[in-house]
Amino acid sequence: MKDILKAIGRAVFKTPLGFLVTLKYIFKKPVTLDYPRKKKPMAPRYRGKHYLERYDDGTERCVCCGLCAAACPADAIYMEPEENENGERRAKIYEINLLRCIFCGFCEEACPEEAIFLGQEYEFSNYDRNSFIYTKDEMLVPHPRKDNPFKRIIRRVRRVYGVEDTK
Amino acid sequence: MADKQNPETGGQATVTLTIDGLTVTVPRGYTVLEAARSIGINIPTFCWHPKLKPVGACRICYVEIEKFPKLQVSCATVAMDGMVVHTNTDQVKNGRRAVLEFILLNHPLDCPTCDKGGECDLQNLTFAHGLDDSRFAFQKYRFVDDDMTTTFDDKRIGPEIILNRNRCILCYKCVRANKEAFGEYDLGAYERGNITEINAAPGRQVANPFSGNLVEICPVGALTNTDWRYKIRVWLTKTTPSICNFSSSGTNILFYKEDHKNKIYRVTSRRNDDIDDGWLADITRYSYQVITSDERLIKPLIKKEGKQVPATWEEALEVIKKRLNEIKDKKGGVCIGGLASPSLDNASLYSFAKFLRRTFNSNKLDYRQDYRMLPKDTANNYSILASQPFKIAGIDDSDVIVTFATDLLREHQNEYLRVRKAFNFKKARIFVANPYAVKTADVAELEMVYKVGTDEIFINAVCLAALEENLVACPDRADLKKKIKPSSLKDAAEQCGVAPETIKIMARALAEGKKVTFIAGELLTRCRDREIIASALCNLNRLFGLNRKGQIAVLARYANSMGAVKLGISPEPVPALKKELEKIWSGLPDTEAYNTDTMLVHMKKEEINGFIIMGANPVMLYPDREFVKESLEKLDFLVVCDLYETETTALADVVLPLAGWAEYAGDYINLEGCRQHAEQALKPRFEAYPGYEILEMIADKFEKKLFSSTEERESEIDRLLKVDTTLPWPDGFVEVKTAEIEIEKDYPLALFLCDDPHHCGHLTEKANSLVNFCGEAYIEMAEEQARAYNLNEGDSVRLESPIGKIIVPLKISEHLDNQVVLVPRNFTSHPVTSLLMRKRRIDWVRISKVAE
Repeated sequence: MKDILKAIGRAVFKTPLGFLVTLKYIFKKPVTLDYPRKKKPMAPRYRGKHYLERYDDGTERCVCCGLCAAACPADAIYMEPEENENGERRAKIYEINLLRCIFCGFCEEACPEEAIFLGQEYEFSNYDRNSFIYTKDEMLVPHPRKDNPFKRIIRRVRRVYGVEDTK
Repeated sequence: MADKQNPETGGQATVTLTIDGLTVTVPRGYTVLEAARSIGINIPTFCWHPKLKPVGACRICYVEIEKFPKLQVSCATVAMDGMVVHTNTDQVKNGRRAVLEFILLNHPLDCPTCDKGGECDLQNLTFAHGLDDSRFAFQKYRFVDDDMTTTFDDKRIGPEIILNRNRCILCYKCVRANKEAFGEYDLGAYERGNITEINAAPGRQVANPFSGNLVEICPVGALTNTDWRYKIRVWLTKTTPSICNFSSSGTNILFYKEDHKNKIYRVTSRRNDDIDDGWLADITRYSYQVITSDERLIKPLIKKEGKQVPATWEEALEVIKKRLNEIKDKKGGVCIGGLASPSLDNASLYSFAKFLRRTFNSNKLDYRQDYRMLPKDTANNYSILASQPFKIAGIDDSDVIVTFATDLLREHQNEYLRVRKAFNFKKARIFVANPYAVKTADVAELEMVYKVGTDEIFINAVCLAALEENLVACPDRADLKKKIKPSSLKDAAEQCGVAPETIKIMARALAEGKKVTFIAGELLTRCRDREIIASALCNLNRLFGLNRKGQIAVLARYANSMGAVKLGISPEPVPALKKELEKIWSGLPDTEAYNTDTMLVHMKKEEINGFIIMGANPVMLYPDREFVKESLEKLDFLVVCDLYETETTALADVVLPLAGWAEYAGDYINLEGCRQHAEQALKPRFEAYPGYEILEMIADKFEKKLFSSTEERESEIDRLLKVDTTLPWPDGFVEVKTAEIEIEKDYPLALFLCDDPHHCGHLTEKANSLVNFCGEAYIEMAEEQARAYNLNEGDSVRLESPIGKIIVPLKISEHLDNQVVLVPRNFTSHPVTSLLMRKRRIDWVRISKVAE
């Protein structure tokens, strides 16, 4: 009987004592984020989804030389070159299969034109596997002159939040 | 050269030197570079090419030779006895690195956009020797033209060539090859010093028939092809060795292909010194586009109520079985004939012959789709001449070369280059005899343009010159005079319109030559009186003993013409072959044998009712188009297999898609009788099948299997190819008949049908690159003639013969100078064969200007 009372007493008086640890954290800064409303800032050299750069005048930097595809250990990059209206070389098709990609960053390193970079975006989710093959249009940064600023902001917001373009 | 002594005269024929500690003995006259390569020591080069004379322009091949004060360029230093050469010392490496640094001085760093990236000699060598940084900070020199439309520095200098002068390292390989090997002067080096540039000759395009080679030998990306430009990187492609299907030499090629896309991207040469020396004609280089074109036949077509509708293979085969069986039951199998293209591989041709001979007991088959009035069997002088052994490499060391009745540049480009090579390197004496002036004459000692229709009289004149000058020691030479007409050189020379003195010079050369190569070509083969001319040539051969001290041959025209002869595709095979065929098949059909010509005649009489055409296009190529068309229309049942819809498939009841030569593995026999294997590069596109599989499928329908296995087929072919088909020369001199030459009163000009230098047969107009060189038919004539008719380049000309007329643009020729006009036959839009009469020797035409 005495033992039972002792146990009850311990439960009543000692358990809140255990909750003290928990209670202490209410007043501390939380370690988790209010995802997806808030996002964690990534390290500057984080290797997320790829993007293709442009020159200041808007022409694509990528000349489709094929070095990224050659360097890619996962064989995730496929490209086909073509001539643009000025007779210069550029990519007709530039695709990265993000399901294959291992985000090693070799493509970025191999690129002689400083065209491809691994960005900060890390959210990849889609409804089918084919959507993971990112095309050139999806990866190119917006044209600085052709887009109006409003659209550019929307595009950036979409990029950041990974919202699909409704086509 | 004084040191080049003959071993027989006492001097040494070889030299011994030490390279990197290895002792090597090479023939005298070898350069240090060649000596080093012969023992597997690699010395880098830019400007050196094995088939060109050395210049020492790039200086990357530096080696250190003991007792020489400085580094020497190994490509231009002749190896000498006792030389001690080092190719890998620090001094050599430093020298090469310095050379590279100088080359890179003005070389742009645009490797990412350069098509040569990945196979660039400069890139590789820089990687191996060079520094990763440049010490020169100033602006690189950039070539910019005023009229440059692109922001890029690329400039189109020919239909298929793009030049980027910034990348050029001035090795001069392209200019030298163009001049030395091809005899073309449309590309040159201009200006001097730092701003030297390679460029097309002012106002001209680099459009010669060998222009693709310039791109191939360029060590950097200064010259690039449009067909390969920005298509794919070289490291993504695989190579397949193959054989050219549009030249009878069987030049060796490599297909660059991509398996996932089932596509060929380009063709480069696979050097074979016995055959092609590493040079490819543009036909060979760009004709792969015939296969990759999207206009190909996709499905079998069956004619239903006068219209061809797509069908499945099973349906098509059922129709073939039903209809051919009807004819066989009603009229007998002998009423079924066939025509196969001489560009098909051995297996297809042999299956074709076996199918017709075994299933239908018919001897009505042929492979010749463009030669009028063919001989019936092989017991004639023409067949003897055509069966003689010939070696392409044998042209190189001949000291006298005669080309007779052939325009090598249009027919045998590979041999054309050989003849030039013999002239350039061995100073061979070259004689050109043709009814019209040809480009080969550039290198000729004498060019003899005889009157049209006097081919045999010209040959007789050469024989008579030898007799009158007493040049030959042939024992029965006295007989000859009785067999030929006219009997004196003066008369003969007058008749053929060539000065007797020039004929004497040629006769003397033939008599004195130590090794003579005598080449006859298409103008003899296609001529109605080929037998008469061949008789004259047999006499010539006997008189001068040409086959003993060299070679004399009529060159085969198509990729596997020789294979067709050796496998007995002709109506009457050579006797030796016939015996072997009888053994293999245990009996040959003894029905009447018809060649193409007689088959067409009998079709018109409705004595041949069923016909199978495989890859051939007689409507387009056989003389008298209307006649061929009418004949084929009279047929009850016509099956045509081809890659494309052609004039002939339009008449067919069943059309079957045929696979192109890159789509299956096959053997081809080139004009010298050499059997070569072409590997399969692609999977057959659409629903096409190779010829032998189509025949196998049809034969299966008749429940008469052609072969129990592939091995059986191959072993039968092997047995046949072992048979020596060379026919013996006639005993004694043969009588040369006089040919009757019809003269049309109001038709003053002689028309010669030819192939454009960039085309061959009926398929090449589907290759875009070749069309860029020449996309439509033209009438080529001498400038004087054109002036007489008040015509200018590009004018539309109405060309009329007694039976037809066509309208073609005019092209003024640099070579022609007599009453001859040339029209290429490769274009569907201009049916030239509708002008030709089937039984004529000379096709007389007249021209008039079309009023605008």
